[in-house]
Amino acid sequence: MLKIDHLTKRYSRTLAVDDLDFEVKPGVVTGFLGPNGSGKSTTMRIILGLDHATKGRATINGVDYHSLKDPLREVGALLDAKSVHPGRTARNHLRALAASNKIKRSRVDEVLEFVGISSVANKKVGGFSLGMSQRLGIAGALLGDPGVLLFDEPVNGLDPEGIRWIREFFQSLAKEGRTVFVSSHLMSEMAVSADQIIVIGRGRFITQGSVDDLTATANGTVFVRASDIAKLSATIKTMNGTVHEENDHGLTVGGLTSDEIGKAAFDAGISIFELTPQRASLEEVFMDLTAGAVEFGGAQIDSARHE
Amino acid sequence: MSNEVTLMSTAKSEWIKFRTVRSTIMGTIMLVVLTIGLGVLVTSLVRAHYTTMPLAQQVTFDPVSTSLVGVIFAEFAVGVIGALFITSEYTSGAIRTTLAAVPNRFQLSFAKLLVLVVSMLVICEIVCVAAFLIGMAIFSGVVPTASLTHASDLRAVLFSGVYLTLLAMFSYALGLILRQSLASISVFVSLLLIVPLIGIAFPQSWQNHFQKFEPISLGGSMMSVVPNSSGFDPLHALLVMAFYVVVLMGVGVTLFQRRDA
Repeated sequence: MLKIDHLTKRYSRTLAVDDLDFEVKPGVVTGFLGPNGSGKSTTMRIILGLDHATKGRATINGVDYHSLKDPLREVGALLDAKSVHPGRTARNHLRALAASNKIKRSRVDEVLEFVGISSVANKKVGGFSLGMSQRLGIAGALLGDPGVLLFDEPVNGLDPEGIRWIREFFQSLAKEGRTVFVSSHLMSEMAVSADQIIVIGRGRFITQGSVDDLTATANGTVFVRASDIAKLSATIKTMNGTVHEENDHGLTVGGLTSDEIGKAAFDAGISIFELTPQRASLEEVFMDLTAGAVEFGGAQIDSARHE
Repeated sequence: MSNEVTLMSTAKSEWIKFRTVRSTIMGTIMLVVLTIGLGVLVTSLVRAHYTTMPLAQQVTFDPVSTSLVGVIFAEFAVGVIGALFITSEYTSGAIRTTLAAVPNRFQLSFAKLLVLVVSMLVICEIVCVAAFLIGMAIFSGVVPTASLTHASDLRAVLFSGVYLTLLAMFSYALGLILRQSLASISVFVSLLLIVPLIGIAFPQSWQNHFQKFEPISLGGSMMSVVPNSSGFDPLHALLVMAFYVVVLMGVGVTLFQRRDA
């Protein structure tokens, strides 16, 4: 089990991680979701003892990473796929890693085989594609057969086949009772690969829960088609509802239930042709949750347009 | 626990890393070619012209240092090997993978040093003895020769290997502090070549005091058979060099432990 205990990391002026506090439990795939620059990688580096925490701590099964006697057998990590000397072959890279933790040499060929890069094991890593480097990184993480696994943006650079492979792989690791912690800035990816999701933004904890929990808490919208759209739109606005989209086909209404809209239309003498409650997509939930917490946001498309 | 990460398992890992990159292999080839090749070139030239040399030069002629002239160039090869051993981890990002496997940074930096010292000492001693023996074979019959059976000659040859090993450690420590390949090698070369050039600008009386502390002068003192009046004797020169290495390593390891990787 992985425990993040009131973790704070400050780099001179910027607060990269701000009092993060959560647990990652074994047996499920836990997604670590946040926009770019939200502190996901920093948190992972602190877990691995690469960066020093300003305040708080991160523990693995109750102890600091520094106190692990044979770290590769307890924690496997893929941070940056390019964290390998480009002039060394894949096999030599893994052999050196294995030697430090007294892992037997035959295990190197096992993991190379498992991730599917045996054929390039004696090639220099510098010539690898990002996808191959990711697979090598995963091989390194599996070397010690650890109970806790961390993956920072693992689907980057993988082709669709690779992405499907890695999703199934995460699930199988979790089913074996391991702790699997996977970061991503893509909600859609987390929605299909993670069971539990922890959302952060600007280094701060935002929310935590299953994929279903997160969509349930979000406000849905209602799509309405009616005989007099302009009149219905005005009516809804007097009821403190919000009209997201208005065109000849219909309205997308937020802040009101379908019952309330139907009743209001009846009272105003408007005929309803269609009234469809719509659940927010995970992507929308994520955008809502992190709206104020995007480090490097682009300008709003609307405001950028000259009218 | 039997699977515990130890200094020896870390050193084994670092040894695999050390010998599986081109920079080490190329550096070692340069080291061998420069030391032996230049030795052969210079000793052959001396043999050809020895009989026409002025008597004064013949009297003070030192066959040992002449056969080891290539060491001056080997200094740069060992500097590159030492610095890149650590800086290539930073430039490639591999340091993060390394530290995840061996979180004890003191142990890691010491294991690396151990691998560097043992491999450099073995290679440099072999190369220096070879350069010396080849040089003496070329001199034989025409130029007076030295022999490893003479204590002072043996010491001069062995100390040249020790000097090169100390320089490799010196450069490794610079790499630990600076973390960038180019910066480390630049500083290393500057300390060896540029500092003596700046020294020339100072009055002669000052130069006499400072020159002997420059790494190249210390190397010269360590390798000389006859102690020169202005410099240290070989053993003290070795100790001053070792002192530099200890200080730089102290700074390097302290920074390594404190900094984020």
